[in-house]
Amino acid sequence: MDESRPIFQQIAERIENDIIAGTLPEETQVPSTNEFAAFLRINPATAGKGVGLLVEAGILYKKRGIGMFVAAGARDRLLAERRDRFRDQYVAPLLAEARKLGITSRDVVALITDTQKENDS
Amino acid sequence: MTAIAPAARPLSRRLGNVIRLHMANPFTIFLTPLLVVSAIFAINWMIWWIIRTLTPNDPDSVANVSAGFQYSGATLWIFVYMMVIAIMAMNLTFSFALGFGSTRRDFIVGSGLTFMGLAAAYSVVYILLAAVEAWTGGWGVGGSMFNSIYFGIDSPWWLRLFHVFALFVFFFAIGSAFGAMYVRYKARGLILFFSVLSIGILGGAALLTVSGSWPAVGTFFATVGFTGAYALSLIVSAIAGLAGYLILRRATPRS
Amino acid sequence: MTAVVEVRDLTKHYGKVHAVDGVSFQLEENRITGLLGRNGAGKTTLMSLLTAQEFASSGSIEVFGASPLENAAVLQQLCFIKESQKYPDDFKVKHVLRTAPWFFPHWDQRFADRLVTEFRLPLDGRMKKISRGQFSAVGVVVGLASRAPLTFFDEPYLGLDAVARQLFYDRLLEDYAEHPRTVVLSTHLIDEVSDLLEHVLVIDSGKLLVDSAADELRGSAATVVGGREAVDRFVGTREVLHRDGIGGLASVTVAGLDDAERAAARSAGLELGQVSLQQLVVRLTSGTATDFTEELSA
Repeated sequence: MDESRPIFQQIAERIENDIIAGTLPEETQVPSTNEFAAFLRINPATAGKGVGLLVEAGILYKKRGIGMFVAAGARDRLLAERRDRFRDQYVAPLLAEARKLGITSRDVVALITDTQKENDS
Repeated sequence: MTAIAPAARPLSRRLGNVIRLHMANPFTIFLTPLLVVSAIFAINWMIWWIIRTLTPNDPDSVANVSAGFQYSGATLWIFVYMMVIAIMAMNLTFSFALGFGSTRRDFIVGSGLTFMGLAAAYSVVYILLAAVEAWTGGWGVGGSMFNSIYFGIDSPWWLRLFHVFALFVFFFAIGSAFGAMYVRYKARGLILFFSVLSIGILGGAALLTVSGSWPAVGTFFATVGFTGAYALSLIVSAIAGLAGYLILRRATPRS
Repeated sequence: MTAVVEVRDLTKHYGKVHAVDGVSFQLEENRITGLLGRNGAGKTTLMSLLTAQEFASSGSIEVFGASPLENAAVLQQLCFIKESQKYPDDFKVKHVLRTAPWFFPHWDQRFADRLVTEFRLPLDGRMKKISRGQFSAVGVVVGLASRAPLTFFDEPYLGLDAVARQLFYDRLLEDYAEHPRTVVLSTHLIDEVSDLLEHVLVIDSGKLLVDSAADELRGSAATVVGGREAVDRFVGTREVLHRDGIGGLASVTVAGLDDAERAAARSAGLELGQVSLQQLVVRLTSGTATDFTEELSA
């Protein structure tokens, strides 16, 4: 657990990551709040808040008497969100660091293309 | 919105808890006193046996020696030990009981009931042992531990029972008061109290001597007799108990 | 929001020393609250006042809607596990476990038995003779098994090894999830318990410094590290919690940076360090700034 950010946010992010990665497919059941809390060794109320965030965002929904399930279309929605944030979270810092090191934008693009080629092969 | 606590459990239950707490470790309340008494008894028996063996075997000498035994104060140690029990109970059990959520009032009343109960039980045992003592002719050596002059040799058993009970209560009461004083005021307070008490007693004795009043004191006690004296002691016990109550009401279990 | 404890202007002084100084707060039902602060800050005194074991000098305390003083109805709902608990002479562990159920109406014997095995309590050990760790373990077992609606743990882990401590946290969380109750945990091992806490109270020299949700505190501070000038320029007029520095390097802990400000710091070439709950509390309560350059040149 990252000590400098609210834990409930980190819980929500973990679940989101699992949904995006496909570990938690749509319409499958998500572990209960208490299970999360016990597994991660955090306060159940905090875990509940994280799950609550996702329920509010429509990523999870509650089936009465059974538990929490991943909503239909959740993955697509999350992917769209992450794409929007990609620029601020990854691209901007990348360019700032490149500037610090004196790497031009054209070099950055070349680096990206080369690295991609290596990954693909 | 405020959460409210449900009603308290009944008083009898809470007092019962305090009483049970005092008895929780049978060693302190029963076994150690029993050991102490047994030890005192054993030592006394040896002394009686030695003296008896050395006494010429005529009825007069034997009667004399047996009568002498009745003045022995050995039996008093049992009562003094009750004071020790009360002091220890106050000191240690108070912090424990309060730590577990008992109120001071419940603890004081519960302790009082415990001591009264113990006093009653011990008194009965004491008188029974006195009967056994008489029946065995002084434990086979003419000894006298439970038939002491201090409780009235020729009084009926129920009067002696009252005397013994009163004495047990007295020592429990002053023990409780001393214990309470220690809990609240610690060693310094206790020393201060005893200093004042000693001065008071010495002062009182001096006053009586100077005014030549000792004979009056003697007459007074002769008039009230043993029973009267023990009845008066109950008043002192009540005062000591009250003092303990008032002192403990503002005491804290702080170490 | 249901309040279980309401404290207003509470003060306790011993002679000239104010152990608790004008403290006001509320404790919400069924929450795990951390009571944090340095040694001697007033944590134990505060808990002793709430459990009516000490008498307040002034101010008001309401527990379950009433004053806890000599109040059996309130007191039977409380459990206060303190490190300095006194036991009668000759009391063994088994005596404590035998007598505890009498005082706690919600006691769960099966839970207690399980905990005794897990913590390896020596049932025949004398309370005066067992090790510090075992002594604390007894307190932990009683506190957990009591299921008291308001349970106080005053530095319950003293002497407990890391395994036992983790066991305590695990069992506490587990039981709290199944049977919610209000728990107050005082500690200075903040990092260990920080994930358990929902709410945080920080006390320093008898005064309440912080009364907030744990999640709000997390992320409420960040450490900015970089060249002195760049750092000072970025910090500007922000609230500074702590200043550290050596040579041309400065490390300043500031309160509350949002995402935009963080991005700005990064693009200014500054590094952002995490500030854990423990570091935050240490910064708030230490009140000292270290600048080694000044010390070196002095």
